[in-house]
Amino acid sequence: MPPAIRIEELTKDYAVGFWRKRPYRALDRLSLEIEPGEVFGFLGPNGAGKTTTLKLLMQLIFPSSGRAEILGRPVGDVPTKHRIGYLPENPSFYEYLTAEELLTYFAELFGYPAAERRRRVGVMLDRVGLGAERRLQIRKYSKGMVQRVGIAQALLNDPDVIFLDEPMSGLDPLGRRDIRTLILELRDQGRTIFFSSHILADAEALCSRVGVVVRGRLAASGSLNDMLAFDVRGWELVVSDLDPQTLVRVRPAARRVTEISPGRYALELSLDHPPERVLADLVSTGARLVSLNPVRETLEEFFVRRVAEMGTGARAPHAQEASRAGG
Amino acid sequence: MRAVSRIAASVFRESVRDRVPYNLVLFAILLISSSLLLGQLTAGQDVKIIKDLGLAATSLFGLFIAIFIGIGLVSKEVDRRSIYALLAKPISRTQFIAGKYAGLVLTLAVNLGVMTLALYVVLGFMTWGTSPELQSAWDAPGLDPALMKAVFLTFVQLMLVTAIALFFSTFSSPLLSAALTLGFYVVGQFNADLRNFDTVVDSPTAARLARGIYHVVPDLSAFDVKLQVVHGLPVPAGYLAATTAYGLLYITAILLVATFIFSRRDFK
Amino acid sequence: MSPRALGLLGPWLAVVALAAAIALQVARDRTYPRDSRAIAERALYVRSGTVLQRLALEFDALASDVYWIRALQHYGGERLTRERARNYDLLYPLLDITTSLDPYFTIAYRFGAIFLSEEYPGGPGRPDLAVALLRKGMAAQPEKWQYRHDIGFVHYWHLRDYKAAASWFQGAAAQPNAPNWLEPLAAAMLNAGGDRASARLVWGQMLQSEEEWLRRNAARRLQQLDALDQIDQLQEIVRRFPPPEGERYTWEYLVRRRILRGIPADPTGSAYRLDAASGTVTVASDSALQPMPAEANLRLHAP
Repeated sequence: MPPAIRIEELTKDYAVGFWRKRPYRALDRLSLEIEPGEVFGFLGPNGAGKTTTLKLLMQLIFPSSGRAEILGRPVGDVPTKHRIGYLPENPSFYEYLTAEELLTYFAELFGYPAAERRRRVGVMLDRVGLGAERRLQIRKYSKGMVQRVGIAQALLNDPDVIFLDEPMSGLDPLGRRDIRTLILELRDQGRTIFFSSHILADAEALCSRVGVVVRGRLAASGSLNDMLAFDVRGWELVVSDLDPQTLVRVRPAARRVTEISPGRYALELSLDHPPERVLADLVSTGARLVSLNPVRETLEEFFVRRVAEMGTGARAPHAQEASRAGG
Repeated sequence: MRAVSRIAASVFRESVRDRVPYNLVLFAILLISSSLLLGQLTAGQDVKIIKDLGLAATSLFGLFIAIFIGIGLVSKEVDRRSIYALLAKPISRTQFIAGKYAGLVLTLAVNLGVMTLALYVVLGFMTWGTSPELQSAWDAPGLDPALMKAVFLTFVQLMLVTAIALFFSTFSSPLLSAALTLGFYVVGQFNADLRNFDTVVDSPTAARLARGIYHVVPDLSAFDVKLQVVHGLPVPAGYLAATTAYGLLYITAILLVATFIFSRRDFK
Repeated sequence: MSPRALGLLGPWLAVVALAAAIALQVARDRTYPRDSRAIAERALYVRSGTVLQRLALEFDALASDVYWIRALQHYGGERLTRERARNYDLLYPLLDITTSLDPYFTIAYRFGAIFLSEEYPGGPGRPDLAVALLRKGMAAQPEKWQYRHDIGFVHYWHLRDYKAAASWFQGAAAQPNAPNWLEPLAAAMLNAGGDRASARLVWGQMLQSEEEWLRRNAARRLQQLDALDQIDQLQEIVRRFPPPEGERYTWEYLVRRRILRGIPADPTGSAYRLDAASGTVTVASDSALQPMPAEANLRLHAP
């Protein structure tokens, strides 16, 4: 089966500056394939090129080179739009319409007959949790309510492929949990989801695969398990009833010591100090074991590490010289 | 087609909610109060002046609608980025432009229609209150159907101005679009003069340049038959047809260029 | 001031401020009066009709209405003023602009014809300007008989060129929809020229006009003609019944002798003036009929 989304060497250059335009490379030869049914997290710091990629996929902007396909058809193909949904970042809709009217308008554009429109609009608004507010003009909505409207309009047509740009933005923790549940539901229904975020916790919770983009370049992509160092890189030992002298003696063995409450400490041990030995040592002085857990690299640490490694990325002038020279 | 009509309906609804109808109320008040006050001032010319005022106000209010809503049509949507979600729906950028234009033309038509109706009502009252002998002195009857010829040509002219506003709005900011459209409108009124520039100016290059501009910039003064209609002078059907056809051809050209530009631009 | 107090007092303070502003304006205008003439002259800063036509874009009909109203107000204002000498300088430029903006504005041309040629102090006394204006109207609409008729009238009444008047009336008669009294009028010009019968003919036709002010003007002229007739009759009576030797001419003398029933008055009700020394009968200087047309123009009969 062809990939749901295929991106090949997608590049976007801008000319910035007032008089002498300097080229600015927002996206540098991005290549990705997303299979149907995947939940793909597109991660990166602010300004990395996430929104640029999504706009290129929705043909709101045009690439400088490279191409992309959705469901086997080139981006911008109008019939394909019946099968995709899009939530822009910080969406804005016609202020003078109510949520109900907006969704009805979009439903009209999809071509649904009147009864079908009413049904879909009602179901979607219920699903995102907009009750009586659906009859108020959007200009009166809070940011969270606008976000819900955005999600509703993205899902109105039961799309096979859904593009979400910062879907959690503007939502309170309850709202975030709702949307996470929603995304998992959509995944269980077999839909493909491509969402961009700078909140790593969401990606960890939802995604089967992620891609990390930094300063216009793809820094890494693959399944989370593959990308994160699977090896244990340390241990966290939590003990109670630890007396102060023993603590002083043991402290050099630990990378970090955190006092949780009087007598209860969390010790982060590096691999050089086998936890069994330290534990035996502590227990012999009267301390008691609370828990012992392996420490693996988190997505956040991976992220920060990769960002530092990427340096200036594709946007330094000499980097472009290098790439032009075939580097 | 369905998409275009849906977008057009949405534009019309926005204009209504945007309080455009208030200017209709203003128009009606202006016309009625003038008709009451003018009688004493004008040595019996009140019908002529009401017609002049009614037609001029219709033109002017229509112009404001054409320019200010016209530039907002695309610029505002792009600025506010409400266009992002819209273009993800199964419509092409061409359908978007066509729908926006159709919606504004609909708004214009309704507004002009209401203003014309108000004018006829006021003229009806004036005619009813004047003796037949005095009426025989009028250049044209009070409830003259020929007024609609003037309104019709004004409508075509405003459709042209709207197309120009939409064109600028596809690539420049609202403020710049308004200024450029207004500029085109003013130059378009003078356009007829440019044709005969060679009689006024010595340099043949300037005259040729003026001739060139004359052909490119729309000749808007040709749509103004208000004087003739108010004085009961004939406006031949052939002239109406030719001028309308000119307008429609020009509009087509502008919309094609606007669509071309809009289809290829990036949205910030 | 606390926000609450501002909220309560705010609107009232605004009213007080506005009232004060208005009062100040009234006081200023009283102390430093601004001449309305000066304002009107500034309105004529652009005297070129063609330039104004450009500036007015497609709203020239409305602009011409504005200038028409100004022309009327200017003429009426000057006509009524008693404080200073009347000055009709702006009348022609205003009418010229009006008709440049709207070349089909018939009434403006005709108004100009009558009141531009009117002798001072009733008007500026410029029949040449009147004819120029009417020629402009003819250039725009050559088939309108009214313009030729009006030119003929100016030649008849003000320029006293009866042959030219007759030829203009004939030209008018040749236009489509011309009324049928134009031919006899032309004939009367050739025949009689400067007598009251032909004048009565001309003004009598004007009395039928659709324009109210033309009618009023014609009625006034006819009253003047009646007055002239009455003066002739009264003069005859005074001549036949002179007062005794050495005594002065008075109406009372004639009334006492039962020759007249009362002190004779002109059609507007003002008593005629009888010169005590010479016995000449004239219209009173403060009569509404003044200024009377030049006597030499209106002998009782043709020479």
